Amino acid sequence: MSTIDIELHSVSKKFGANRIVKNVNLSIPKGKFVSILGPSGCGKTTTLNMIAGFESPTSGEIRIRGRDQNGVPPEARKIGLVFQNYALFPHMTVAENVGFGLKMQGRSRQEIAAGTKRALKSVRLEGFENRYPKELSGGQQQRVAVARAIAPSPSVLLLDEPLSNLDLKLREAMRVELKEIQQDLGMTFVYVTHDQEEAMAMSDRIIVMQGGVVAQEGAPADIYGRPRTSFVADFIGKSNILPISDVGDAETGNGSLRVLLEAAGVPIMAAPMPGLGPDKARFCCIRPEAVRLADAAGALDEPANLLTGTIQKVVNLGAYLEAWLLVDGGITLKSMIRSTRLDKLVVGRRVELAIAHAAVQLLEE
Amino acid sequence: MAVIALSTSQSPARRDLSVKTFLPLMAPAIVLALFFAVPMGMMIGISFQSRDAGALTLASYSRFVNDGLVLVGFGRTVVMSGLVAVCVTVLAYPLAYYLARSTSRWRTVVLALAIAPELAGVVLRTYGWLIILDDRGFINSALMWVGVISEPLPLSKNLFGVVVGLTHVILPFGVLSLLTSLQGISPNLERSAQILGASRLAVIRHIVLPLSVPGIISSLLVGFTMAASAYATPALLGGAGFKVMATMVYEQVLFYLDWPFAAVMANVLLILMLGVAFVGSRIESRLNQNLHL
Repeated sequence: MSTIDIELHSVSKKFGANRIVKNVNLSIPKGKFVSILGPSGCGKTTTLNMIAGFESPTSGEIRIRGRDQNGVPPEARKIGLVFQNYALFPHMTVAENVGFGLKMQGRSRQEIAAGTKRALKSVRLEGFENRYPKELSGGQQQRVAVARAIAPSPSVLLLDEPLSNLDLKLREAMRVELKEIQQDLGMTFVYVTHDQEEAMAMSDRIIVMQGGVVAQEGAPADIYGRPRTSFVADFIGKSNILPISDVGDAETGNGSLRVLLEAAGVPIMAAPMPGLGPDKARFCCIRPEAVRLADAAGALDEPANLLTGTIQKVVNLGAYLEAWLLVDGGITLKSMIRSTRLDKLVVGRRVELAIAHAAVQLLEE
Repeated sequence: MAVIALSTSQSPARRDLSVKTFLPLMAPAIVLALFFAVPMGMMIGISFQSRDAGALTLASYSRFVNDGLVLVGFGRTVVMSGLVAVCVTVLAYPLAYYLARSTSRWRTVVLALAIAPELAGVVLRTYGWLIILDDRGFINSALMWVGVISEPLPLSKNLFGVVVGLTHVILPFGVLSLLTSLQGISPNLERSAQILGASRLAVIRHIVLPLSVPGIISSLLVGFTMAASAYATPALLGGAGFKVMATMVYEQVLFYLDWPFAAVMANVLLILMLGVAFVGSRIESRLNQNLHL
């Protein structure tokens, strides 16, 4: 039990007739950075509010550190929470804000002062003790909010889209810092966000939610590399999602499956999908960076699908070029190609494409 | 030409301060001048006149300062208004807090119920209280019938009755001033405090109360000034034994026909209210700075 901080057992939440969270099972391991990722309305904030105790589940059980939290009010759960809009107390100084949790625990003045100092140090905001929140920048307020939440040393810190009010540069810097703070403290972070890049950058584990259910759960690389549904494939990163039919049996030595790209009528080989029956596969996902020009694929030391097509459109993204390729048979594939190969990409030119078998992922729905 | 026409039409107010600009303001200005500024000026003027002729004198003011009965009435007005202000604010606070936080569909019903009494006239509501608080009213009759008391309790014709009546009349205004202030406090602040370990009571004490002090002050101000200027309720529930400034002014004008003295009392009442409002708003703006809102 000690290795799991938070568990949800078939938790559901209804608001009136709306089921916002449907039968969710989760276990969040101690000391990990876990993101709950999903578009707005997927139930991620409601899930967070139930963990925090602001909402109670309609059915199911939430356990924190092994204890059932049914009927336990937020103030008794001993967890930290950082809000999207920081929610700093405007009438208190930075030090008073950060020390509030310790004060509520009835600690002595010295303990509060020491705890406040330690928390401000871990967010690198020393020397701001006597400022008021409105005298701070957005990024500084964010740090105060984090310091305030970690000062009482909760075992779990919940973060509700804490970076979405910051500008892009600051957001990227704070990502790194939050991850560092989490690792320094060894605290469990549960991070709710709709920003898949943020989740990818920081998390040890990502829980993708959609329509109130967990769509997929796993390590970031796993979620990106082996999405199970077209929703996950589409939501995380860029992808080509193509309808398929006629899933055959394993043909080659490495277990690749023969499938038919429906729109083009072109057969290609796809990676085997453990746990997914051939009759269940409806789509396949090919990441744009896996669609390569064939002359470069000579270096590819794994079995690959070879296709021919025409370059339709090229968009320069700086480090990469995004090319729309019309494959013979009538499907369009997006491809990410390094900018050094700009001279090869002339609109209207015929090209040969290589896509590794392993890069073609079969999807359930 | 078109460009020029466009640019002039965009900023007519800044360049053209002609009669046309002020025309729409003329009607309210005239009404205010005729029915507010002029009578106010006249009242100040009358207060310096002697009773019979028109000679300038401070006689009425010196009478005010030396008349023990009048001074008692003045003190009574201050005490009564202060009590009403406190009662209104204390009673309105929980209701305003509920209205500010509730998401229930009953919220609108409660708000309507809180404001609805204003739709019935002051006199009507005061008579209602008279029925309840009178010596032969509901409470006294019931208590005497049960046998708890043998003599009626002094519930009306005194400070208690007037404070009860005025608190009821003014309560909605207290609710509205507190509501504005409480609605400005983000619920996330309370949630933050809660998750940091604060009980409901601690949240109220450390977060909600300090942040709503401006609302508390404005509720106290509204309560005080409305109570100090109220006439019907003190007249009906206070009776002859409980005279406040408003009823005394009325008496001077109608029974003693002493307009200069009535004007003095009205002016003193006005100065009292302006003074309280001034101090209150100073405290409020000071607090707003200290609260860093």
